[in-house]
Amino acid sequence: MQPGTAFLYDGQTARRHAVAVALTEDRTALRITGDTIPAPLLWPLQDLRAVPGHEGDARLVVTRHADGVDELQRDPARLLVDDPDMAAWIERTRPRLHKRDLRGGTGRRIGLRIGGALAAVLVMIFVILPALAGTLARLIPLEREQAFGRAVRTQVERSFGATEAGTLDCNAPAGRAALDSMVARLTAGEDLGYPLQVTVLDHPMMNAFAVPGGQVVIMHGLLDNAESPDMVAAVLAHEIGHVVHRDPTRHALRTTGSVGLLGLLFGDFTGSAAMVLLADRMINASYAQGAETAADGYAHGLLRNAGLPPEALAEMFETFRREYGDTGGIAAHFVSHPQLAERIEAARNAPGPQTESGPVLDDDQWDALRAICAS
Amino acid sequence: MTDIPQPPNHAHGDYTGSGKALFFLAFRTTLLTIFTLGIYRFWAKTRIRRFIWSAVRIDGSRFEYTGTGLEKFLGFLMAVVFLALYLGLIQILLAWFGMTLLSPAATPEGALLQTLGASLTGLATVPFLFFAIYRARRYRMARTRWRGIRFGMEPAAWGYAFRAMAYWALTLLSLGLLTPLMTFRLERYMTDRTWFGDERFVQGGRWTALYAAMKHLGIGLALVLGGGALLGLGAGVGPNLLGGLALAAGLVWLPVGVISYRVQGFAILTRHKRLGEDITFEAQPSTKTVILTYVVGAIGLAVALSVVTGIFAGAVAGVLSLTNLDTALQQMPAGAVIAGIIAVLGYLLTLAAARAGALAAITQPILRHYVTSVTLVNLAALQGIHQRAGDAGADAEGFADALDIGGAL
Repeated sequence: MQPGTAFLYDGQTARRHAVAVALTEDRTALRITGDTIPAPLLWPLQDLRAVPGHEGDARLVVTRHADGVDELQRDPARLLVDDPDMAAWIERTRPRLHKRDLRGGTGRRIGLRIGGALAAVLVMIFVILPALAGTLARLIPLEREQAFGRAVRTQVERSFGATEAGTLDCNAPAGRAALDSMVARLTAGEDLGYPLQVTVLDHPMMNAFAVPGGQVVIMHGLLDNAESPDMVAAVLAHEIGHVVHRDPTRHALRTTGSVGLLGLLFGDFTGSAAMVLLADRMINASYAQGAETAADGYAHGLLRNAGLPPEALAEMFETFRREYGDTGGIAAHFVSHPQLAERIEAARNAPGPQTESGPVLDDDQWDALRAICAS
Repeated sequence: MTDIPQPPNHAHGDYTGSGKALFFLAFRTTLLTIFTLGIYRFWAKTRIRRFIWSAVRIDGSRFEYTGTGLEKFLGFLMAVVFLALYLGLIQILLAWFGMTLLSPAATPEGALLQTLGASLTGLATVPFLFFAIYRARRYRMARTRWRGIRFGMEPAAWGYAFRAMAYWALTLLSLGLLTPLMTFRLERYMTDRTWFGDERFVQGGRWTALYAAMKHLGIGLALVLGGGALLGLGAGVGPNLLGGLALAAGLVWLPVGVISYRVQGFAILTRHKRLGEDITFEAQPSTKTVILTYVVGAIGLAVALSVVTGIFAGAVAGVLSLTNLDTALQQMPAGAVIAGIIAVLGYLLTLAAARAGALAAITQPILRHYVTSVTLVNLAALQGIHQRAGDAGADAEGFADALDIGGAL
């Protein structure tokens, strides 16, 4: 390399030094001299590193590798090489010019931090938030929970195409009476902790769900597809189980907590909202299994006390499986499909009532219930 | 007196970043961020900062950003441990309060209590927000160098958080009339704790000076209020027309006023800053230029994006039209799959392009205008400034990243 000139920021003062740069005689270091620097600087060639961020600029900015000095592991001094020959020579002969130097133990630090953050998030999502949701759900005054439930129900109805709350409700008097008698038989002598309110929604989907505040909604498609009133009673008993366990409220509370957390994790990068929703669905799937099993267990007992066979629940699940089993999408396939088999098994093995007291509705009542939306 | 021409003792800011280079850098890093499920965002931000910092030049010397993506990632993980606990609890309590207080209150006292309870829980994250704002600025300063000398800020984030909350409360209570007081005092709090090497910045001037920057905000507000009042009186066609016009003009004037306050407020604050005793600053940014840059950039970006979206939509429609839609959905043949892939890819690419385009066509030109409007006076005094010790910057802005504040830079 031919000797040349450059500018130096010495890393100690903000002064700009005009310096001369040459190779030492043994060709292992740059020797930097100048009128304004007190003593010549020797920069070993193997320590030379380029300062990134000046791409597109003809000149090269060079510094020295120095362990533990700062976040970059670099000496604070900067040598600004404008001489094209010198810059080219340094670029050509220094393979480690653009190397990044990490502080020792970086891998361990990364591992520790990732582990700590994951542990904190997992403990929150799977231990603290569910426990807190359970406690808080019991602390909500009943009328508030009902008001919240009404708001949720209105939203659900809207998503099914109702223009106003209540327009999709089915209220044919005979069907209503049949439903009431079914509810009365199921819940006779039970303390639910809520005034139970069961309604039928005019929608072809084969489903039923519980809403915060003691509401159970049966969708009309379920009545169409059920082969016997006992099967409807079994689903109802399952949903009452959710009500008694306060699952809808707990679920809503826990979801807001974990969505807030997940938002924190995924940040605001493009598409992060989708990631948050997806992760939340997966978390919910794992919770749902426990909640469903508990509601099933409750339903078995309720059916037995009402003199009905718990097996009706198994029959209903099989109908579900026939209807949705093969087209339920990837999630349904991996999450609930094998589990549905277990639930059917559990319902079949649940002890039945001492004496069966006949179907929950007689034929006339059953016809009336199925026609509850025809008014 | 000598006749030798002295080099000027002042220097203008200079910005050399090219829009194209920044666009492709931001586009690449945004795509990487998407494909790494967000993890790359720390490195992405670092690379963009490095680009922008080194595009700023004063007196021939470029700024240098020395932060690393890795330290930001580690800082974020640390912040997550704290915030996971805190935010998870806050969110669930908020939801609980929401449920418990949702229904309309029976009495006015009840309503007041409800509002109070809800806003108290809502306020629980606010101290962290201000804390994070200060910490983020401190980190950026600690990772900024010029002529090899580090900038730095004193650790005072909690002091800032409490002051910021107090001044915000004061501003809200005064219906915005005390905004200059808040702007000035908070900026002074930060400036007076900022260092370049061993020299401290000082924010001089008085907060009342900022009222000059509020002129257009005042005009806009007066037009809106006056127009609204005229309309409200509803007396005849003439006043109504006048009121409507005034209202419309005011609604345009208000955002202009907001931008004007930010631009001219920056100018006033900068002109009253000092570095040590001797180095001062001059700043003459033009509100008109900032607004024009914004409008032109936004329109250009919108046009470009709609063209890109149109191309992708056309491709999807073209592929779909080759296959029968009904059978396509049932059997998912190649056509539908290809159309779906094009649609998803097109969506992601468009999002990334929008982000990168906004940075290159709006943010950077405005930044360029700010930088070139600033002049540093008394270069000679820089010679006496010495290096300061590095700042480890424990969380490396992790709180700000976790709380999603700070924007693209």
